[in-house]
Amino acid sequence: MTATETGHASTNGQGPPGAGHVIDHSTQAILDRMAELHPTGQAPAAIFNDRGIFELEREKVFAKSWLYLGHESEIPEPGDYVLRYLIDDPFIVIRSEDGEIEAMHNHCRHRGMQVCRSEMGNASHFRCPYHGWTYKNDGSLVGVPVQKAAYGDTLDKSELGLLKLANVDTYNGMIFGSLDDDIVPLDEWLGDIRWYLDLFTTRSPGGLQVVGAPQRWIVDVDWKIAGENFIGDSYHTLMTHRSMVELGQAPSDPKYAMYGEQIHVPGKGHGAMCIGAPPGSGLPPMFGYPDDFIERARESIPTPEQYEVAKETRIGLCTVFPSLSIHNPIRRPDTEYEGSIPMMTWRTWNPIGPGKISISSWFLVEKDLSEEFKQLSSWSYLRSFGISGTFEQDDTEIWTHIARNAGTFTGRNQTVNYQMGMELEPDEDWPGPGVAQPVNFTDANLRNFYSRWLEMMTA
Amino acid sequence: MSDDVDAAMRRQYEVEQFLVHEAELLDESRLEEWLGLVTDDVVYQVPVRINREQTGETRVTGVRTDSFHLDENRASLQMRVDRVATGFAWAEEPPSRLRHVIGNVRVAAPGEAVSEHLDLDALGDDDLVVRSNLLVFRSRGDRPEHDLLAAERHDLLRRVDGGFRLARRLVVLDSTVVPTLNLAFFF
Ligand code: FES
Ligand SMILES: [Fe+2]
Repeated sequence: MTATETGHASTNGQGPPGAGHVIDHSTQAILDRMAELHPTGQAPAAIFNDRGIFELEREKVFAKSWLYLGHESEIPEPGDYVLRYLIDDPFIVIRSEDGEIEAMHNHCRHRGMQVCRSEMGNASHFRCPYHGWTYKNDGSLVGVPVQKAAYGDTLDKSELGLLKLANVDTYNGMIFGSLDDDIVPLDEWLGDIRWYLDLFTTRSPGGLQVVGAPQRWIVDVDWKIAGENFIGDSYHTLMTHRSMVELGQAPSDPKYAMYGEQIHVPGKGHGAMCIGAPPGSGLPPMFGYPDDFIERARESIPTPEQYEVAKETRIGLCTVFPSLSIHNPIRRPDTEYEGSIPMMTWRTWNPIGPGKISISSWFLVEKDLSEEFKQLSSWSYLRSFGISGTFEQDDTEIWTHIARNAGTFTGRNQTVNYQMGMELEPDEDWPGPGVAQPVNFTDANLRNFYSRWLEMMTA
Repeated sequence: MSDDVDAAMRRQYEVEQFLVHEAELLDESRLEEWLGLVTDDVVYQVPVRINREQTGETRVTGVRTDSFHLDENRASLQMRVDRVATGFAWAEEPPSRLRHVIGNVRVAAPGEAVSEHLDLDALGDDDLVVRSNLLVFRSRGDRPEHDLLAAERHDLLRRVDGGFRLARRLVVLDSTVVPTLNLAFFF
């Protein structure tokens, strides 16, 4: 087929991009190009900044996925709640009086006012500020002002409780919800990525705690570009984070990413990276957590294989399709600190427009670590990742320009490249599930991520 | 004028001169010079802010004491400054056009506590607690859009060698969701 027949521009880089070509920018044409390019390890840039793609993603991907809502430790007591968004819908994620976790649409059944406007707290009731309909914290409508005079006996309160998400479930304390009533169970959705989530969530018998409230900020980037970076892009570290390499805060050995495994879960889009230590680096085991912690982990991590993998990991990453990423690297709280203090951050990349996301970034730490360790770990986090992180600052700066280029007149006709490591054979000796590559210089996780994306978008 | 008014005016003048000088250094990204204005034991914090109803006395709600956007000591500030100096800190290379506009400078009389956010145990006899309002304008790239952040700063200024040094800064942002792509600059 010629370029004109398939409706896309020359991608050989030989001439001015897009010049002289008639390009079909319909959502369908972009998806057709994606379907054609994907097997070759490429994608059309237009998927990163296009209104039609954005609208379709909300409908086909986000409304049909299990999405991360929060962590159980954020709402430990009955009546504790946090406000969280699924796409742009506000939900009250609450622990009920009998300890169950529920998510209720923050949307009054009378005329649609938000019944809760505090982002976290503890409540027995939510009273709508418009006309005063009052709901118990289980969502049932219990009070309608002057009901008799206003409605006589025509109003059936039992039909007018706050709408609840049919699907809310947890895995190791992680709360997920889905707008899709027919979605597969959470366990099935997560599949083999659970083995890797365990590495971050089961290391301590006391469990994890989210500390405080998340940082939230807005970045002009597509959610997939952010997720990409956390699912399988060790390649960017040396250049994007060169300032930190120069300061001795990131490894200068370009082969660093060779010492680690990149794993993806076929058909599900999820991926993980377990980056180890190059010979002679002298890095302590298991991210640099304290010795007694590592001993306790031996008991609480489900299997000996997982324990061994966790022990060999110094930088861990995990992305649950579509929009939750976990990062757990060995770090230092500041340049003067002798030794290593790991940190862990979980974040969601929530699309709020074409080429625009809202990031929520949480800091987590195991409850049974010392207060001193928690403090140091929070500094390791704040000074490397999150809105002011000396690493993440440069990621967000770069991502915005990619998203911008993906929306320009000819830039949207370009392709992006995910061809690294296409010839690699999987590592058959890897003890964990999924498809593993013995190096991180590969785009295998990204190709798998986009396979899932394409499958959902065209379903 | 009474001696009291005279002394207060003098304090106000000295503090404002210091804050304006500091803002100039931050606007022009003369960060090594700016670091010269902070003490070795400096604590520099920007707490996360959330939307909350009034629960206690104050209507200034949702200022977290357990989560931060920045929580810095001297060494970590130095790391951030050194990072920009490498020339590879893309978040500020090319540099943003920054404008710090300070107003409503409130200087407490010595011994008078005016900030519920600062740990005043650290307050020495000559130290001053200063609150100021701040607008930071940030323009990046070749587009007209800009980011605008508003905050109240709670500072503890220490007198050192006839001048001031910044010993504490707590920046109470007026945003919950922060409207800029990163905090690669100082308030
Ligand atoms: S909209 Fe809630 S009571 Fe009317
Ligand atoms: Fe990065």
